[in-house]
Amino acid sequence: MNSISLLKALGYLEVILAAVALLVLLGRKQLRDFSALSGFLAVRISSDLLLTALHSHGVRHRLGDNNAYSCYFFTYWVSFALESVLALLIVYGIFRLAMAPLKGLQTLGMLVFKWAAGISIAVALGSAFAPHMTGVNYLVAAISQLQRTQSILTLCLLLFVTFAIRPMGLSYRSRIFGVSLGLGIMSTNDLVQSAWMAFNPRMATAYNSINGFVVCAILATWFAYFALPEPKRRLIVLPTTSPFLRWNQISEALGDDPGYVAIAGVPPEIFAPAEIEVMRRASIKMVTPFPSPAEQRVTASSAV
Amino acid sequence: MKLIVRSLVVALAVTGAIASSYAKAPTAKAGKTSAMPVPTCAPGSGSCGFGDW
Repeated sequence: MNSISLLKALGYLEVILAAVALLVLLGRKQLRDFSALSGFLAVRISSDLLLTALHSHGVRHRLGDNNAYSCYFFTYWVSFALESVLALLIVYGIFRLAMAPLKGLQTLGMLVFKWAAGISIAVALGSAFAPHMTGVNYLVAAISQLQRTQSILTLCLLLFVTFAIRPMGLSYRSRIFGVSLGLGIMSTNDLVQSAWMAFNPRMATAYNSINGFVVCAILATWFAYFALPEPKRRLIVLPTTSPFLRWNQISEALGDDPGYVAIAGVPPEIFAPAEIEVMRRASIKMVTPFPSPAEQRVTASSAV
Repeated sequence: MKLIVRSLVVALAVTGAIASSYAKAPTAKAGKTSAMPVPTCAPGSGSCGFGDW
């Protein structure tokens, strides 16, 4: 089998594995929790089918090589941009699911994530500008920067999920970890490929075969995690001195609507008669004189 | 098991960090993890060997 036949076979296998993983995900009724992943797989399947069709001899012959290449180019990069955005949403969803038991930290983390992702996207789009940049080149540069940003955020999430998995009651057999691991491998591979392409900017390189094997391994991992039963989340028991617990309590208190106290300009008419009666009785009790220091000493000596 | 998984994840993160330092130029292209070849030439500037594979 030559390298072209191998690439074609890997391309078909990728579509089949993505379709099977999506079907298992839907069959396990996980669409609500992993909607971004479902979208990612759906975009990958449709774009791969379209790219494979555009690459076929029949379509190339009918459209002409240049037109077919233009269609291939835009299909590839638009689907890549969509996948990068969906991957960011997967990261966001995984963080939300992982932190579900610690509501305070979840809210705070999601707020921080939204700001970090927003600023990163703005920086990615801004830093893609360069002198003499045409529209198409800007599109490619912006999508490439976006993908690198998403890859770095994904690796940060993977590190967090791996090292904080026990306090969150999860295990390495949890789907949250499986999806994070697959996405982390994909992000690392994307970054390595980006470095490779800085030195080998050709369309078909030896790296395509590595890509094919890596994506098939990732899709097989996701399929396995969704096909196998997931262990239930453990009871989370944290010591009272745990920083997780303390930070969660602090985060829960952040942003709460504070209480208010009236300190002046309070007319008596706003109180109910029962409230006035309570205050009157309380005032009567306070009229009782406090014992003088001499009386206190006598009481203390009699007690001894 | 825990040690193996953690080592794997740290290795992934370190590899990603090193690789990202090699592709810092604003014009550096990326490609998705897929068996599909990456179209690196702009349309109209030739088909970049599109029909060769």
